[in-house]
Amino acid sequence: MKTLWPIALVTFKEGIRNRAIYGITLFAFLLFGATALVVNMVPREAGKVAVDMALSTISFTGLLLVLFVGINLMAKDLDKRTIYTILSRPISRSQYIFGKFLGMVLLITITVGILSLLAMVAIVLLKMTHAEYFERFSWSLIALAVFLTMLMLILLTAVSFLFASFTSTSFITLALTIITYIIGQSISGVKTLIESPPQALGFTVSPVTANLVKAAYYLFPNLSLFNIKLQAAHDLPVTTSYVAWTVLYGVVYICLAITLAALIFRKKEFP
Amino acid sequence: MIKIENISKEFKEGITGRRVRALNNLSLEIQRGEVFGFLGPNGAGKSTTIKILMDIIYSDTGSAQISGKDVRSPEARKSVGYLPENPYFYDYLTAEELLWFGGKTAGMNSKEIRDRSDFLIEKVELQNARKRPLRTYSKGMLQRAGLAFALIHQPEVVILDEPMSGLDPIGRKMVGDLLIDLKAQGKTVFFSSHILNDIERFSDRAGIVIGGRLRLVDSLKNLLSGHNTLEDVFMQQVALAERGTGA
Repeated sequence: MKTLWPIALVTFKEGIRNRAIYGITLFAFLLFGATALVVNMVPREAGKVAVDMALSTISFTGLLLVLFVGINLMAKDLDKRTIYTILSRPISRSQYIFGKFLGMVLLITITVGILSLLAMVAIVLLKMTHAEYFERFSWSLIALAVFLTMLMLILLTAVSFLFASFTSTSFITLALTIITYIIGQSISGVKTLIESPPQALGFTVSPVTANLVKAAYYLFPNLSLFNIKLQAAHDLPVTTSYVAWTVLYGVVYICLAITLAALIFRKKEFP
Repeated sequence: MIKIENISKEFKEGITGRRVRALNNLSLEIQRGEVFGFLGPNGAGKSTTIKILMDIIYSDTGSAQISGKDVRSPEARKSVGYLPENPYFYDYLTAEELLWFGGKTAGMNSKEIRDRSDFLIEKVELQNARKRPLRTYSKGMLQRAGLAFALIHQPEVVILDEPMSGLDPIGRKMVGDLLIDLKAQGKTVFFSSHILNDIERFSDRAGIVIGGRLRLVDSLKNLLSGHNTLEDVFMQQVALAERGTGA
């Protein structure tokens, strides 16, 4: 930890001072502002819309943070050869990866924390003006949705580190991370669909497609598990076991991805 | 202090993956307190050797040690300060934060880092820029910040890859004075250059590397005996290398 902390702190400072952060925060402000406009269009659904839009804003701006600040933080070390300076210290390659990841976790946690505060202010203001439509509403469920979104962003960061450990350019890392995000969000639904009976589908899924989808399901992270925006917006129950299994799944996936990244990085050369 | 034994290194080049030999059975030993100049034309293998010493790339064969420790272990870098060629640091960090990072990763406490940072920042004349982000620095200022970073933990061994490259005369003098200082402190310095004058001014011993082979290693006194200039010696070695003889 003594060695990881300086790397994490430097990563965090470099990330939080990045100009892209200002753009992302401004974008979040605009989206929170837009929530008020949309709520006024459908006042009867004010509670649901406010919560859904606030959570979507956190999730989307967090995604922008991972894709455009997080990946850049790692990629710049490699592209600009800052890594020469870092690896000249008595730290191992694995410590570099773990330290860098810790810095990103810190950056995501603090940014999501700030976004959540903004979201809270937006919801409170809307709740004051549309109190009668906020009957089915739970702060704890919103907090849980934010926590799972944060875990999803950390997981995506871990996966981006894994890609960065073997790709040669930041563009490829970015492309692979976006692909992972898209597949991760939809694979569970696709799998359910292809497992439906042919009569219900109206067509027959070829065994090759079915196997490909199954392989993708087990290989890519199932990011839709972390999305409980709908439940939070409609105040629907989320079982403790669902949360526990999702957290466990996320933590295990993160540990595997980051350990694999460290193992690959140990072999990497920087000519 | 630095021991390199029979290291060879090949790189894959282009999309065909053609193998290019960058280092060929290079062996070298540098004693404690010695300033060693590593001379060679561009692409001779100077930076490759240094990167192997810093564990940034790995040799295909052979081994290298610093202070008796294999360079593959992070422990070997505890006693080493390194300045890469054209150093690049974090854009949004200040020189002070960079030195804090260097000190912390070397196991120094906050007070030691503060005291040493003050001393080094003054030494490399960055007092007025110490709180400015590094992205606002000129190339010379970055080089100076890099030198302070390399020396923050008072390393026994200092490895500098083309430390004078791209510097103006004031910057060159500052680096030169620093090399003389390090020598006076008894530090072991290994620096690469393709500028003959720098090698001649600062080294106790020099090695000439051409085409990945170490062609000649000797003290400056011996190299320059018999009215030879370092340029004569170097050109002789280049000619021998082109004819495929010597070494």
